[in-house]
Amino acid sequence: MTEKPTLNDMLKKIQQQFKRFKGGRPVVILAAAAAVVVVVVLWTSWFTVQPEETGIVQRFGKVSRTAGPGLHFKLPYGIENVRLLPTARVLKEEFGFRTVAVSTVPGEKTRFDSRSTYTDESLMLTGDLNVIDVQWIVQYRIEDPIRYLFQVRDTSKTIRDTSEAVMRRAVGNRLGRDVLTTGRVAVASEVKTEIQKILTSYESGVRLVTVELQDVTPPDTVKPAFNEVNESRQDKEQTINKAQEQANREIPKARGVATQSISEAEGYALERVNRAKGEATRFEAILGQYEQAPQVTRRRLYLEAMTGFLSDMKGLYIVDKDQKAMVPWLPLESSGQPSAQGRKP
Amino acid sequence: MKLTLKAVIIAITVVIVSVLYSGLYTLEEGLQGIVLQFGRPVGEPVTEAGLHMKLPFVQEVRRFEKRLLVWDGDPNQVPTKGREFIWVDTTARWRIADAKKFLENVASEAGAQSRLNDILDSVVRDQVSSSELVELVRSASWKVPEGEALKEIPKEREEELKREIARGREEITRTILTEAQKIIPQYGIELVDVRIKRLDYVESVREKVYERMISERKRIAAQFRSEGEGRSAEILGTMEKELRQIRSTAYRRVQEVQGKADAEATQIYGQAYNKNPEFYAFLQTLESYKEKVNENAVLILTTDSDFYKYIKNANPSQVRIPPAP
Repeated sequence: MTEKPTLNDMLKKIQQQFKRFKGGRPVVILAAAAAVVVVVVLWTSWFTVQPEETGIVQRFGKVSRTAGPGLHFKLPYGIENVRLLPTARVLKEEFGFRTVAVSTVPGEKTRFDSRSTYTDESLMLTGDLNVIDVQWIVQYRIEDPIRYLFQVRDTSKTIRDTSEAVMRRAVGNRLGRDVLTTGRVAVASEVKTEIQKILTSYESGVRLVTVELQDVTPPDTVKPAFNEVNESRQDKEQTINKAQEQANREIPKARGVATQSISEAEGYALERVNRAKGEATRFEAILGQYEQAPQVTRRRLYLEAMTGFLSDMKGLYIVDKDQKAMVPWLPLESSGQPSAQGRKP
Repeated sequence: MKLTLKAVIIAITVVIVSVLYSGLYTLEEGLQGIVLQFGRPVGEPVTEAGLHMKLPFVQEVRRFEKRLLVWDGDPNQVPTKGREFIWVDTTARWRIADAKKFLENVASEAGAQSRLNDILDSVVRDQVSSSELVELVRSASWKVPEGEALKEIPKEREEELKREIARGREEITRTILTEAQKIIPQYGIELVDVRIKRLDYVESVREKVYERMISERKRIAAQFRSEGEGRSAEILGTMEKELRQIRSTAYRRVQEVQGKADAEATQIYGQAYNKNPEFYAFLQTLESYKEKVNENAVLILTTDSDFYKYIKNANPSQVRIPPAP
């Protein structure tokens, strides 16, 4: 309703000009003044409320009624005033960072500012006395506009203070590891309930929509060490996998080789037995025939064998049995090529 | 005459208007007013919003907030019971409970803020210095989770973690509130709530804590790597065992199969050859002669050998046909 004084000024100016033109006759002045008053009264007797807003009408400062979206009438300026609050809109408080520019172009990233100026808000101690960087948002709606306006001054500051205190308590009641990993959801819901309880006890007229943890990280200085832990976890897996790989590569092969050698042994066994059987049968067959004419067969076998045997010899000396004495000086090592028959002494 | 009448009417109107203007006042919702007569408070504070009357000209109205107000202290560097210096940032909610007392004692909100600064700072300091850091961070009811979660925490710190704490954050904040509430009402102020908003190590301590965190992490990393290597060795060991088992079982089986076959063969040979061992020896010897002999071998035979006995004599008398076995 800031345009009202300006409107007044404007009317006054018109009135002054009017006065100058007409030479300041009282009746005219009064009429003009009356007209101005009427205009002001009419102009300040209505207001519109946007769809997302609620209007609170105060008569002489005292709340008389609230008004939903649309056109409404009220008593003129000075008697009734109206305040408009965006009760349907979800309002947001950010901790540890600030949204710099929300993108209106689809596909373009929203920019955030998470400079170290905000780390005061986001650095906190965990139950194991480590430091952790927690960024979060609190979304809320004005549920009761009258309470919102008249029970707590500076409600958003109150929400911020309460949120920080409660969040720190929740994080202080957990191990850093939990907050970083599995505890996120629990922290958020615990904090939401707690903040709501406190804000309700302040009669702030605020209803929390959601509390959400954003980036939860170790402090920058410690981050590399945390990454190292992750790397080491990977290393661990890798080492194990490598060993497993080697085992997987070697054991089936060894099994195969084992089966192979057993099969080979079985082959050997078959062969061995078969050969034995064969040879035995052969021997028995020969023996059968041998027994028919042992002398002749024996001699024949001997001579056959000797013929073959002697033909493979490098040299052969036939010595008269009565001249054994000559044997020692035979030129056994002579480099010549002694004939198969050798020399006859 | 006409002019004077007009002037009188105007004068009366002005007087009436100014009396009304001065005799009426509005009070906004969320505020309370106290009526002062020549600077002295008169009657009870007005807390109902709307249009009110007072004596014109002689009385004036001072308006104060009725709403819940914020007190946000500067962060203080305070040593804890364990001699660690920490930043403590507290925040409080308060309201003007008794406008008259408030006006008499602190006069304005700025005055109240500075009074709150003095009182709360000192109470907070007292309480923080007599508490351990853990007590400020945690709730007394908090139990350190068991098992998995503790795996990453070194043993000696686990002891420290599990130590029961006498007071928790809630208790300390409550004490701060009750202590402060003992003094504050005399200023017409109601202290609704005090909370520790932020708690942080001072820079030098923080660096140390970071170092500790880093070394803890490194320790965990080393443990992971070592676990990996251990597991790897275990796998390789099992593999070696399995390999040896497979190979030796196979070897054993091979030996068994071959041995059995050899035995069977031996039995077969034995049975067969046993029918005429002498003939077998003879036959086998001849067989072995047929094997490839050393090409450089030289053999000396005498003429009385069976092979050459006819070389000197077609009918050697001394040669006799050996009898068949």
